[in-house]
Amino acid sequence: MENHEEYIVEMRHITKRFPGIVANDDISLGIKKGEIFALLGENGAGKSTLMSMLFGMYEPDEGEIYIRGKKEHITSPNQATKLNIGMVHQHFKLVSNYTIAENIILGIEPMRRAGLFPVVDIKSTNKKVAELSRQYGLEVDPTAKIEDINVSIQQRVEILKMLYREAEILIFDEPTAVLTPQEIDFLLKIIRGLREQGKTIILITHKLEEIKQVADRCAILNRGKLVDILDVASTPTQIMANLMVGREVEMALEKSKPHFEQEVLKVQHLTVKNRDGFPVVKDVSFSIHAGEIFAIAGVSGNGQTEIADAVAGMCRVSEGTVSLMGQEITHSSVRDRNDLGVSYIPEDRQAVGLVLDFDLADNLALKSYYKPPFCEKGILHADAFDQYGSKLIEEYDIRSGQGIHTITRSMSGGNQQKAIIAREIELDSKLIIFVQPTRGLDIGAIENIHRQILKERDKGKAILLVSLELEEIMALADTIGVVFSGELLKIAPADTMTTNEVGQFMMGVKQE
Amino acid sequence: MKNKKTNPFLRRFLSIMGDEKRQKITIPILAILLSLLAGAVVYLIMGKNPLKAYLSFLQGAGLFPKGNYAAKRSMVTDLMSMLNAWTPMLLASLSVAVAMRSGLFNIGVSGQMMLAGLVATVTIGYSPLPAVLAKPLVVLVAVLVGAAASALIGFLKYKWNINEVVSAIMFNYIIRYTVSFSIKSFIADPISRQSRAVGPAARLSLMDTEIGGLKMDIPLGLILALVSVFLVRFLFQKMKLGFEFRTIGANPRAAKYAGIHVGRNLILTMTFSGALAGLAGATYFLGYYGSIQPDTLISTGFDAIAVCILGNSNPLGILLASFLITVIDKGGIYMSSTVGVRQEIGALITALILLFAACGAFFRYFIAARRQQMLDADHAEKKEAEV
Amino acid sequence: MNTINTLIIDGLSFTLPLFIMAIGGIYSERSGVTNLAIEGLQGFGAFFGALAATLLSGFFAASSQIPMYLAMLFAMLGGMLYAMLHAVLCVKFKADQVISGVVINLLAVALTTFLTSQLNASVFGAPSNKFVLGTSLRFSIPGLSKIPVLGAFFTNLYPFELVILAVAAFAWYVLYKTPFGMHLRACGDNPHAVDAAGVEVGKVRFAAVMISGALSGLGGICFAYSISGQFSPAIYMGYGYLAIAALIFGNWQIMPTFFACLIFGFARSAGFALTQALDLSAAFSDLFMTLPYIITLLLLVFFSKSNHAPRALGEIYDKGKR
Repeated sequence: MENHEEYIVEMRHITKRFPGIVANDDISLGIKKGEIFALLGENGAGKSTLMSMLFGMYEPDEGEIYIRGKKEHITSPNQATKLNIGMVHQHFKLVSNYTIAENIILGIEPMRRAGLFPVVDIKSTNKKVAELSRQYGLEVDPTAKIEDINVSIQQRVEILKMLYREAEILIFDEPTAVLTPQEIDFLLKIIRGLREQGKTIILITHKLEEIKQVADRCAILNRGKLVDILDVASTPTQIMANLMVGREVEMALEKSKPHFEQEVLKVQHLTVKNRDGFPVVKDVSFSIHAGEIFAIAGVSGNGQTEIADAVAGMCRVSEGTVSLMGQEITHSSVRDRNDLGVSYIPEDRQAVGLVLDFDLADNLALKSYYKPPFCEKGILHADAFDQYGSKLIEEYDIRSGQGIHTITRSMSGGNQQKAIIAREIELDSKLIIFVQPTRGLDIGAIENIHRQILKERDKGKAILLVSLELEEIMALADTIGVVFSGELLKIAPADTMTTNEVGQFMMGVKQE
Repeated sequence: MKNKKTNPFLRRFLSIMGDEKRQKITIPILAILLSLLAGAVVYLIMGKNPLKAYLSFLQGAGLFPKGNYAAKRSMVTDLMSMLNAWTPMLLASLSVAVAMRSGLFNIGVSGQMMLAGLVATVTIGYSPLPAVLAKPLVVLVAVLVGAAASALIGFLKYKWNINEVVSAIMFNYIIRYTVSFSIKSFIADPISRQSRAVGPAARLSLMDTEIGGLKMDIPLGLILALVSVFLVRFLFQKMKLGFEFRTIGANPRAAKYAGIHVGRNLILTMTFSGALAGLAGATYFLGYYGSIQPDTLISTGFDAIAVCILGNSNPLGILLASFLITVIDKGGIYMSSTVGVRQEIGALITALILLFAACGAFFRYFIAARRQQMLDADHAEKKEAEV
Repeated sequence: MNTINTLIIDGLSFTLPLFIMAIGGIYSERSGVTNLAIEGLQGFGAFFGALAATLLSGFFAASSQIPMYLAMLFAMLGGMLYAMLHAVLCVKFKADQVISGVVINLLAVALTTFLTSQLNASVFGAPSNKFVLGTSLRFSIPGLSKIPVLGAFFTNLYPFELVILAVAAFAWYVLYKTPFGMHLRACGDNPHAVDAAGVEVGKVRFAAVMISGALSGLGGICFAYSISGQFSPAIYMGYGYLAIAALIFGNWQIMPTFFACLIFGFARSAGFALTQALDLSAAFSDLFMTLPYIITLLLLVFFSKSNHAPRALGEIYDKGKR
């Protein structure tokens, strides 16, 4: 038996099941006081679930949690807070029209007396927050409103919230996903600072590089199971990567040599502004040929989604042009582009790609319902919907409880995505846009979708692929474009770039 | 707890109510039954026989023969009079439904009805035109006015993203006061203080007409209303436009992604909804009622929202729901005279039905939870038996 | 001169009940619960208060003012009780908030009309659809009321005007200065943040809707005293909806809403005054009554960018959803 006393947090034989999957399978690990402990794993490996149990958001089905050597049943975040555990979630939980100080004291407001009446003491809070901020080098102004500050500062507010509540064990859930490289550096500095002040830090991430930079030890999770716990300094990155991905999933995609034909999509000097008039895509130019997979790599939030939306007609283009087969479509409607040959598999399949309350037949015809044989003279033909739906279900192996009459809300994520892909491919468009086509899906489904993308490319389609998964891009792309902060920093044939180089461009480091 | 047997009655209830596809029908029926039960309790508290009371509702609405009738009156007279009142209610509810299916909330139906009624009254209602011209013109004017008033709400939402509920409330009251002003200033009847009654040529209901020795009101508008039911049904079931409306109603982002022009459809939906509201206004003010009362916003438009919920925004459901509500409303007068309870209890029962109907989401949740509990218990029991 | 006096006196006595109802709306909507039920809440509150006053008036001298204060108290209580229905539907049953509001208004009209008639007939033995309330005394503040023009603000006041001002000030304090108020406003912006801070969103919203009912009830009974001196179904004049217009105009904040109510109240009394002064027919006052709604619509059209509803307004809070 190892020495349990040195652990501030110990999880023993934790198992957590959700309908259909085992999210955590008999995981045991211990975290020492004052260390930075990383949880490494791919999407869906079970990292967040494990930490949600430590923070009291779920309760484990089996296993025990010990805090400072004492067995605890953590049933709510409140209780976790009392045990000095704090968590920064991926989605921040801040009140946008409150100041930073007000957000920090929410729920534990200090009071003072103003005449007869007790009032919330904002002044002393401001002072205390400013002090905390200085102590940990967080550089925030307690009187600033949340809606006026950027994501990076909002994240620091979340950190301050934990510190104000005297948290000793700090959990960070994918904290760098929304940050720029400079902000990431700053955050990692803060995290190191926290360790120096004696805090224990748990870092959930799937980025090896960050772990290398700050973590002391690292637990690797793969599909709900604990693979290993390693000492970061003495383990080569390559070994960690292999463990994370798992040898058995290294799939060999058969990819034939590309045959580029005529130019299908041409984007020139594209600029897109967000609602506040701030440019999120800046002067982007590229083109895609028939038979080419053009993949856009980049850290989330660097403008890649907006590029896809602009090409599909989902958002307004401020400057520049978009042409399809030589025809300008910069300001064409979504419907016109649809008819001219643009298919689009959107990032958010449930909120955008499907009408969840409609049945499968309606959803499969969502992009063609207005054309014969579905519709003639404004009248719909139900049997056309049914036949088409049945055909697609058969061809694309879409599984659902009640066939074409299944309400799509009740289908699994993988089958929902299959339905969208079936619908978009079946349109026989010249250009197919895939945004994060495999997000949140299991390995089998991912492999299947990758094959489909390659098949379409071999059929002579032009393909625009946007993905946050570098491996996906390296496996599929013929040409890679890297976005950083709204700009296309680099466009090059895929075989001329290594994963490492692409990664560096993604961080905006290798300026030319 | 786990091994607690669900009692057979609850078991039966859950298995009937649990079918999610049938819940569209079973939940409104449950709401109606619960309200009638609540109404019965009120009658019992007051020492009255609820069955007799409910029967007299039916008698008053002409669905069941009364003991005796005055000269030239019969059950048919009562029935026709009820149908006369039903017509605007049915149309107003359809108006709400068209908007609701597209994800919009037309709370402005009352105002749209009044404006349409006023304009039709002023332009056609007092004109010497012959009936064959006047009646279609009344319908045309009312439909156009209602459509325009409602389209404006859609336009404000499309152009400036003003919540349709908020702007419709503003319009309701702007119209209410404008109508009052117009009536009092130009077309008031000195005795009734309402607008002067419209001429029989323009009136959409033939009042007190003698047929086969019986006097009755004949609501010509009912034909339009019934046709509208099937048109709305056709629109949403068979037409491309209806498919687009439904898509927007269910998921506006997906609708945009599918290439549907959301803004244009939004205005179009409100236009359709307003046209039906206008027609409702015509059949109310130039049909059923014959004049317009100042200083009040008619409640039909608000009742219609509730009817629409009870009928699940489905045209056929609305047909039944609005019929029921009208029976309670019209039958209340006779019930009051025979049972001796204030006729306002009718409105109370109606409001209760709507209240329970609004709890539909909760019923669904509650039933699903209890059913799951029952199934789990059954499952556990079976497992135990196997062991 | 006299016209201006009347204008100010009437304007104020209309503004204040409207204001307290609008504050009620602000409480509910800032907590994230859409409240179209104000119309019904004020009516039911007024009914409850009027019923209490009628029942209790026998214990006091005919000229006693105590029943009026009791009426106010009971109106708040009644509004609060009735608002629980909206709270249960919206917070517990997760019903659509707009639909719930509409249904609650319908039920209020039906219920109070029925009960008023029925109680009059069975308890008081007189067939009538109203409760007659005693008249409220009015008073002027010595000294201040003598100031030229502005003195009218202190002349011929109803006691309820002071009650409302006091309650409004307290409501302001609670909403902006206490932890409860902080939680409430946070619920309307990001309920997940409130939940993460260990405060139960459902409880806060429930309380907010109940407060909304109490304040609406107070507004309702004050209207009953000032406008007609009785409770009858005529109380459903749509002032609850006007209060909603006022709070939208006031951007869901108490002080700006006060000015909106002042504008609305004075537009109304100025309308009456102007009709009289210009010797127009009484019908013209109806035209003036459209002004508040038209102004609010125009405001929404031209300033829709700076007019912000609470971000989570109308959103059903589901803990599991992140």
